[in-house]
Amino acid sequence: MKPRDMVIQEEDATRITQILTRFLGDSGAGEALLIDRGGQLLAMDGVSRTLDTVSISALAAAAFSSTAAMAQLLGETEFTMLFHEGAKWSIHVSTVDKEAILLAVFDERTTVGMVRVFAKEASRAVGAVLGEARARPRPAGEFAAPLNAAESGPAWTPPY
Amino acid sequence: MSVINYAKKIIDFKIVYYGPGLAGKTANLQHIHRCLPHDNKGNMISLATGDDRTLYFDFLPVSALTVRGFETRFQLYTVPGQVQYNMTRRLVLRGVDGLVFVADSQFERLRENVESLRNLEANLREYECTLDEIPYVLQYNKRDLPNVAPVEYLEFVLNHRAKRVPFFEASAIEGKGVFDTLNTVSRMALASEFGGAREARNEAS
Repeated sequence: MKPRDMVIQEEDATRITQILTRFLGDSGAGEALLIDRGGQLLAMDGVSRTLDTVSISALAAAAFSSTAAMAQLLGETEFTMLFHEGAKWSIHVSTVDKEAILLAVFDERTTVGMVRVFAKEASRAVGAVLGEARARPRPAGEFAAPLNAAESGPAWTPPY
Repeated sequence: MSVINYAKKIIDFKIVYYGPGLAGKTANLQHIHRCLPHDNKGNMISLATGDDRTLYFDFLPVSALTVRGFETRFQLYTVPGQVQYNMTRRLVLRGVDGLVFVADSQFERLRENVESLRNLEANLREYECTLDEIPYVLQYNKRDLPNVAPVEYLEFVLNHRAKRVPFFEASAIEGKGVFDTLNTVSRMALASEFGGAREARNEAS
């Protein structure tokens, strides 16, 4: 299946943040990351712990894709949830839709069961927002004109 | 699949370095990681075997200039070149916005290059994509070695398509050609977002 382009407008971002904030409040998780299955971080919410969210997104998408491939070898469509338990922090990753996953980071103040229950609810709500965003035509605006010469130069210049 | 975020004013792209095993894909990312200032790069992650062969992928996020108010960011991935890891290669290709095919220029690796390019086309078909739809460049690596094929010959074998793509001679281990390759594929990916290029390509596919 061909992945579709993703344009997140400001109102989409606001709605997604509200859903993630509510999910964190209900579940007791510390951070929530909405990630596309190609590994890109779409949105996040949570306490301001310093996390390398870009790397976590890439690795979580890869891990989730791997488990989906394993599921297919067993005749399943995919495993809808992935759970990694650490000494202090744990990670719960679950399906949002065919193109996105939801990752939650949590500690001993809550349980995987709580996170799982509310992740399902949040995933449905976030999936609806993403579906609307994907169905919308791409906005022209800043993207209407081709790049000019100044914008087409090298992004990184020698000496390297 | 680029991600345009109006709330944060960021465009994210995924660039994948593809090619046969030991062609120098990881060496490209290592050189980029060594050279870029801290402000323009994140952590490099390598999921490798005990003997430093790529098992899953290498990953390096880099940022570039701001274009029309949007910060441009590129997530660079490599795939494992070894034949048996095809499932992994296919997974890494998901959502790709730009491709670098890193070929090993040595005469004795020509067959592996051709097989890897065919494998890339087959894996793209799984995502209903073709090479003609994705910004794509070729890098003829290991030009520092004595037993390399002439560039004209590599061009005939690997770039003999209806739509020829830019190519670069490189010695990734010495850093030669690495940034020329990256600059070109990243600009091609960026340009594909502007002036209706993306819509035209989507309609054609």
